[in-house]
Amino acid sequence: MLYYTLNRLALALVIVSVVMLLLFSMIYLIPGDPAAVALGPRATEAMREALRVKIGLDQPIWVQFWNFFTSAWTGDLGREVLSDRPVAAVVLEQLPFTMALIFSGVGWSVALGIPLGCWAAVKRNSLADHIVGVISVAVIAVPSFVVAIYALLLFAVTLRWLPAIGAGESGNFFDQLVHLILPSLAVGIGWVGYIARMVRASMLESMGAQHVRTARAFGLPESRIVYQYALKIAILPTITLLGVGIGQMLSSAVFAEIVFARPGVGKLVYDAILTRNYPLVTGTVLVTTVLFVLINLLADLIVGMLDPRVRSGL
Amino acid sequence: MKKNTDFLSSSLSRRSFLAATGAFGTAMCIAPHASVSSDGSVLVLRSYSDLQVLDPAFRLSLPEEDIIRSIFAPLVVPQAGDVWGWNAIAAEAIEQLDELTVSFKLHDNIGFTDGYGQMTAEDVKFSLERIADPALESPYAGDWGALREVEVKDRLSGLIHLKNEFVPLWSTTLPTPASCVLSKKAMEELGDKITTKPVAQSGQYLLADWQPKQKTILKRNPDWSHTPGGFEEIHIIPIEDPATAERGFEAGDLDYTWVAVPSIPRLKENPPENSVLLEKPSLAYVWLGINQDVPPFDNPNIRRAVQHAIDRQVVVDAAYFGAASVGNGIIAPGLPGSRDSVTYDYDPDKARALLEQEGVSDLDVTLDILNQSERLAAAQVIQAYLAEVGINCEIKQNDSGTFWTLGSKDGDYWNKLQMLLQRYSMQPDPSWATVWFTPEQVGVWNWERFNNEEYKSLHDQGLVESDLAERDRIYRRMQELMDESGCYVFLTHEVVGAVHRNTIVPGLKPNGESLFSEFRPA
Amino acid sequence: MSEAVSKGAGPIRRILSEPLGVVGVVLVLVVVLGAVFADVLATVDPSSISPRDRFLPPSLAHPFGTDHLGRDLFSRVLHGSRIALAVALFATAASLSIGIVLGLIAGFGPRWLDALLILLFDSVKSFPTVMLALALVTLFGPSLTAVIVVVVLVNVPGYARIVRTQTLSMKDADFVAAAESMGAGFSRILRVHILPNAIGPLLILASMDIPVVIAIEAGMSFLGLGVRPPTPSWGAILNDGFTAIRDTSWIAVAGGLPIIVTTLGFTFLGETVRDVFDPRLKVR
Repeated sequence: MLYYTLNRLALALVIVSVVMLLLFSMIYLIPGDPAAVALGPRATEAMREALRVKIGLDQPIWVQFWNFFTSAWTGDLGREVLSDRPVAAVVLEQLPFTMALIFSGVGWSVALGIPLGCWAAVKRNSLADHIVGVISVAVIAVPSFVVAIYALLLFAVTLRWLPAIGAGESGNFFDQLVHLILPSLAVGIGWVGYIARMVRASMLESMGAQHVRTARAFGLPESRIVYQYALKIAILPTITLLGVGIGQMLSSAVFAEIVFARPGVGKLVYDAILTRNYPLVTGTVLVTTVLFVLINLLADLIVGMLDPRVRSGL
Repeated sequence: MKKNTDFLSSSLSRRSFLAATGAFGTAMCIAPHASVSSDGSVLVLRSYSDLQVLDPAFRLSLPEEDIIRSIFAPLVVPQAGDVWGWNAIAAEAIEQLDELTVSFKLHDNIGFTDGYGQMTAEDVKFSLERIADPALESPYAGDWGALREVEVKDRLSGLIHLKNEFVPLWSTTLPTPASCVLSKKAMEELGDKITTKPVAQSGQYLLADWQPKQKTILKRNPDWSHTPGGFEEIHIIPIEDPATAERGFEAGDLDYTWVAVPSIPRLKENPPENSVLLEKPSLAYVWLGINQDVPPFDNPNIRRAVQHAIDRQVVVDAAYFGAASVGNGIIAPGLPGSRDSVTYDYDPDKARALLEQEGVSDLDVTLDILNQSERLAAAQVIQAYLAEVGINCEIKQNDSGTFWTLGSKDGDYWNKLQMLLQRYSMQPDPSWATVWFTPEQVGVWNWERFNNEEYKSLHDQGLVESDLAERDRIYRRMQELMDESGCYVFLTHEVVGAVHRNTIVPGLKPNGESLFSEFRPA
Repeated sequence: MSEAVSKGAGPIRRILSEPLGVVGVVLVLVVVLGAVFADVLATVDPSSISPRDRFLPPSLAHPFGTDHLGRDLFSRVLHGSRIALAVALFATAASLSIGIVLGLIAGFGPRWLDALLILLFDSVKSFPTVMLALALVTLFGPSLTAVIVVVVLVNVPGYARIVRTQTLSMKDADFVAAAESMGAGFSRILRVHILPNAIGPLLILASMDIPVVIAIEAGMSFLGLGVRPPTPSWGAILNDGFTAIRDTSWIAVAGGLPIIVTTLGFTFLGETVRDVFDPRLKVR
């Protein structure tokens, strides 16, 4: 187990480094001068040059990369171009909004996906099973930004049931929850389909497994068999799936944050790239990538812990 | 969605428009039904960008100017209403003694917070000279470019000495944050710059809380003993996208917001409950620019063909849904030099004839625009008109980070840039518009690379001419030269639209720019 | 789904015997026919501007209404299907070819190169697609090329992994070693032994990827990062609709509907194709 953990951890570190290296090469290649944007038309060339030096853009890419990583290690992600605030603070302010969005998205997908999957598995090959199957495929297929706009159009603009913009009053939990409903639906609905299918398949597999058959033979009630035994096993692949899903949900979060005008890291990095606020871009991408890789790692480890076959398989 | 920022900030001063569009976008967060302005206690406003810097010498955007003016008492502020003017704030009295001298006397009871004592003439001297000091490298040093020194006469009064006569002093220097008075002691103790945590505040309001990207809260300064601000608290909510802000207003989350120009007709026809729609003339100017140094537009007749190919009325109508009218130059109506017409007309046959005469056909050209919906709409109409005369025009949408560097001589695109849709804004003096098209500005902000010596000498003349009729003639002639160059197709000055609850009276400059401290309950 | 299909039936008949497959085929046919006959079905030029006719609701003259520039939405949607399908086909073909090449390199190349490629694939996957798209668009400017590059970057790892796995399992197989010893050329081994085995999974993955590609194109155009105006793209129409959402809901509906129809159609079809040809893969 220790070897497995270390192995996964090392891989995670390497992936983060490669991602950041790719990012730095990209920034190096991208046209547009953050100094010109930040300082405005009255700035002299000398002032722009000074800012470039301050951000470190005058240095060779390898030096920039090295400096970034050595200070990132200590939690210093640099300072934002315009307001001169620490990037780490800016990212940490916005991160909770996106996390809330993604976890509510996961909430939707788990809350709807697992029961649907169970139901389909129990009623295998019935009409209900087929309908769940079609719905699962359908919600996976439709892009989240279309869902976001249709949801906005229907529930916020036309029916006016739910708020159209923002994240709710800070400190007012209920209000924030209400503001999460539509955007998290857009983020999570595709995963309802994935999870329903995954749960159905692994339930079918596990319901044929030895101990479930034993339980059945002992005359345990069917509902207990389904939820206590079969579901327990089916939950494993679901965790792995969600680990992978978080990264894609981050993509959907960008759209949801734009359509519903929510604060969040998706919107933050989107705007930062558009305005060439490089320290903010590198900082945000680092934090989100680390998070993504960590969640994947965690999912892997949980599954590895629960299922020894996975460990040895690697 | 699209970068609507600079569009809705129709009122951005020219110098700060760039920073504002560059200022990275602002997500926001709205308190539902938190607007309780009806009882006069809280005013909820929308600004188009979050604050970044609260230093009068380094401010980046208009909303920051508004906050800075509210928390660091300035000598004078612009006056609200339909006429350009100013009101004294920190100054009990301020007047021009002669061409080179202005005297001022401060109120005797303005204090700085955080224990920095009373505001004195010494602080005025420090604050004004600080911006003017080249060593500080303030982008606004030019506002006080004519400042020789501030002479302290006694504890509260002093003289501002100028090096030369300076006409814009009372229009575009004093009534800006360039006259904000900072605490000398605080600045010397805390180092050079103010970022987002102001110390030693002194204004009608105090910055009470800043929740980045969510809201900024100003509270009435309890120690302010002159005209008090209109509300107990002002909540400033940064919302970048005007459509989003309009939705927020309709949902009752905001008391005041600028709206996108294309929304004006809809809001007029169907106004939200208990609200008032305002329309104000704008000082912005939007035009189609043509780079005269890049083929095929290095041929003046081909540039002129473009001028004749486009029906400006239809372009403006389509882009702004009929809310804005056609503009005829860079100087807005009401200012010296404003024109009723341009020297070219919509005449596609003439355009075709010009192209034929130059022996060109099936031209392929590009039009660079900022990625923003009104700009995109206008560009597509222009594209259709150019196609009519056989010019195939490709539209390139740019994000703000790219767009604002396109014509810069430091970059590598200025010699590929063919046409662009551009929008600048100005202060209420024609020289603020003409200054960007001089030969010195080629490759800086003059991206058409229009290079005309007569224009340059007229611009210099206009700066020192005080006779109104003569100024009018000078600035008209300058725009004629721009017409004749073929580099410009002038489109519109836009219009500023805003909505507010009928429970408040907004404090606005004549061009619709807000003055937070002048908002009052109805 | 229904397992009672006679083994001898042709693949098309087998697809059509699945209800989901029928729905998929019908939806895809609607889109494809719309694209092919766009000029016949919509007689109005999709780029023809008429500001006076903006925001018209659906009518006989304009079945889907008009947009903010008075352009006919029906015509724009139909012509938009050409863009969507062209991007889907071209980008999928490109990712497929590049993926095969990279997969072979990873499979046949030295171990370090294999490890490096796998690492690159994983890293690209760790980048949320939107950020990748944004970064690339700032690099190349918004264009169809940028869209295709993004799609290729996102999709290549999937194909490459399939080919790599297949190659690795074949590399040491006795018959390949035998073929090699008999002097068979690399290209022959590739043609005879590796591709035939990989082609099934590759094609299934490709058919499942088409809706993803369409979503990426529409998403980028929605953000203004895709095709250049006035080219009608569904994403661009959806964005016009989002901007004007309180003036009229027709534009947003008209922009979103074809995206839904197309992604559903191709997904249903892809699912059925997979079930029919490779039931082992039935769950992801």
